[in-house]
Amino acid sequence: MSTGQSKRKILNAYHVIFLTQSTMIGVGVLSLPQQLSSLGYSQAFMPLLFGVIASITLYPMIWINSKYPNENLFRINEILLGKWIGKFVNLLFIIQFIFFIAGVINSYMHLIQSTALQEKTITGPVLCFLLLLVYIVTGGIKLIARFSMLIFFITFGMVYFTHWAFEKGDITHFLPLFNFYSANDFYDALKKGYLSILGYELIMFYFPYIVDQKKAYRHSLIGIWISILLCFITTAISVMYFSEWQLRNVEFSILNLFKAGEFSFLERIDIFGITLWVFLIFSTVATYLWCAKKGVDSLISKSSNVHLYILAAIIFFVVKLPSSRAFQETLFTSANYVAYMLIFWPIILILVHLLRKKKQVQL
Amino acid sequence: MEEKEQQVIDNIKQQTQDIDDVVFKKMATDAGVVTIIYFSSLIEKMTLQTMVFIPLTNHINQIFQVSETIDLQDMDVILQKLNAGQSLLFFHKPALLQVIDTYSAPTRSITNTETESTVIGPQDAFTESLETNISLLKRRIQNPMLKNEILTVGTETNIKIAMLYMDNIVNKENLDLLRKRIDEIQYPFFSDISELKQLIEDNPLSPFPQYYMSVRPDSVSQYLVDGRIVLIMDNSQAAIVCPTSFFEMFVSVEDYYNRWTTASLLRMLRFFGFFLTIMITPMYISALTFQTEILPYELLLNLQESRSKVPFPPLIEVLFIELIIEILREAGSRMPAKVGQTIGIVGGIVIGTAAVEAGLLSNILIVLVATSALLSFLPPIFLLSNTSRFVRYIFILSAGVFGLYGLMLAFSWLFAHLLRLNSLGTPYMTPIVPRNARDLFDSIIRFPTKYLNAKKGISRAQKK
Repeated sequence: MSTGQSKRKILNAYHVIFLTQSTMIGVGVLSLPQQLSSLGYSQAFMPLLFGVIASITLYPMIWINSKYPNENLFRINEILLGKWIGKFVNLLFIIQFIFFIAGVINSYMHLIQSTALQEKTITGPVLCFLLLLVYIVTGGIKLIARFSMLIFFITFGMVYFTHWAFEKGDITHFLPLFNFYSANDFYDALKKGYLSILGYELIMFYFPYIVDQKKAYRHSLIGIWISILLCFITTAISVMYFSEWQLRNVEFSILNLFKAGEFSFLERIDIFGITLWVFLIFSTVATYLWCAKKGVDSLISKSSNVHLYILAAIIFFVVKLPSSRAFQETLFTSANYVAYMLIFWPIILILVHLLRKKKQVQL
Repeated sequence: MEEKEQQVIDNIKQQTQDIDDVVFKKMATDAGVVTIIYFSSLIEKMTLQTMVFIPLTNHINQIFQVSETIDLQDMDVILQKLNAGQSLLFFHKPALLQVIDTYSAPTRSITNTETESTVIGPQDAFTESLETNISLLKRRIQNPMLKNEILTVGTETNIKIAMLYMDNIVNKENLDLLRKRIDEIQYPFFSDISELKQLIEDNPLSPFPQYYMSVRPDSVSQYLVDGRIVLIMDNSQAAIVCPTSFFEMFVSVEDYYNRWTTASLLRMLRFFGFFLTIMITPMYISALTFQTEILPYELLLNLQESRSKVPFPPLIEVLFIELIIEILREAGSRMPAKVGQTIGIVGGIVIGTAAVEAGLLSNILIVLVATSALLSFLPPIFLLSNTSRFVRYIFILSAGVFGLYGLMLAFSWLFAHLLRLNSLGTPYMTPIVPRNARDLFDSIIRFPTKYLNAKKGISRAQKK
């Protein structure tokens, strides 16, 4: 099935681990405790459940990719669904990516504006952000992977900032375990919270570049569980530190965790934290943009950096869409829900793959 | 017979027309009449005396032992030999052209380095002579595997460069890549090896030096043994070591002479010092312009009080004082040493205190800028210190535009840029992007010497 083009295998084990890890940790984690607040104090263990779900749903992704070791998902779509349906689906994915990226940038920039740059519009910051983003993405997936790796070690120090909240928190908040009554609450938390850990599904797009494809599942899992652990720390400390009312109403809980900190020379650690967060946003969004660029490349059957610039321009206009904030929120949230489709998509592909195989055997 | 000989001499004379230091000297010897031709500016009289005149008149056989014969007709070779400071001995009968290497380069003796001085360790430094530099390295590595290839560069000037490497350790791919890059150079004149360095770097647009440069033979020979390639150029003091990594810019060879505890401490200081020097003043700008709330009340009060008379916004204030520091630094390095001290005092103390008293600058800023200026001199490689000066302005401007957020954007640029850089095809950010886990033993923390015998990942050496 291979088109014969030789692709360079460039991603080693560490690259896979940290690409997976950093794409998951983005703007979502900031508000994870709020998204899970329908479960009240019982939310603390939700990330672990997410981890299990992610591990299970990762399997079909790797499986379908390992059947086509030299193709990314865009090509697999075209191969399995036929050229035109495949291209149509790819277009949907690209649009979803654009809105997803725009959503992440939008919510982050509004956060920046409301905390760190109160007297400025978001136009300048967004423009600079996108320029740098393009600079990173033109370096290719390997640069993104290396960037993610470096960023992980730099931002990991932020975990330290939460220790004040840990000290001031009340560990008894964890008890009683599983203290919720309606399945609806649980479903609500699952639906909203799971968005925060999306990102691992992008392995379907950079899989052809992985050197050791046989172990890709294991490496990806390590990445996923590092992220899950970080999410768990976040929710656990939030549960200890906040009251249930605060969990429901404080939008960016992590920043408020940072606020618990005390330095004699630094008052608002949260502002420091939120600006530092731009690294994490970069590492998340860069992978998505790279995938979108690959999508456009496969759509037009030509690889060019111009696609990247056009995508960045579109994202800029989507972020700056002249519409109400409420409309934007709905738009981006719905784009996020479409992302769930991507997680179940490989299962459909597997079915098609098996059907076609059966047909071929019969023929 | 006579005519043909005369013709050769006339030919040389014609070619060396308007070169007034050429000497044609006829001498009668036991082997008949000899014409000696040389450029007097390239050869010391003493050398000429001992190597040519005395043997010619006394032991003519000695001449044939030390000289080589060249073709009478090959004018290119004849001229090249003349230009390289060799003496031509033209025997009239039978017609024979012998050449003796009498080049006596005006060299200076080996002195200790002024740019990369250390407290412990050998004090000798390279000189401007290629031969001396090679001998300084060969003295340290007494191994037949140490090869030195002589190449010429410079389309007009034909400058000699030597490429040294350990044949059993060096990575051959790196060697081929470097050879190819040197072959492709079309540049008329090199006055220092740093010009060559900029021409063979992977990314000439980057502010970061991508090859290591040093005038210390001990540090260079250490890299040679690690499997790097060293380039030395005639008439140029420094040696290039490639490939290298960003981190190695913070390594001084003295780290290996100190005990590991001290060495680790100093390395940490240099490494974090680089990030501090580009961060201190931008932080001041963002804290006072955009994010005043990150400062505690008492500190903010303190800062504002010292700034109370300053009419400028923090960005202008910082740019102003940074500019003064640049001027002081540049003036200090250009002016004659005898006036230097006076101007240093005038600049440092008079301008500093007067500016504060006049209300142009705040006290605290002076402290910060002075600290960051000092920090910028910590890297042992001066090129990196220059880089930090440039990069700091990017940080200052981005902090001036977006405060802390701009600072973080600038950091993202810095990291992405550093990660994109290659040095001779190897990632510049080793060992942070790991190629070899054992590199970490010799990174920010230098482990005790017995753990350091492994070759660095960046060398991609043949043997570990």
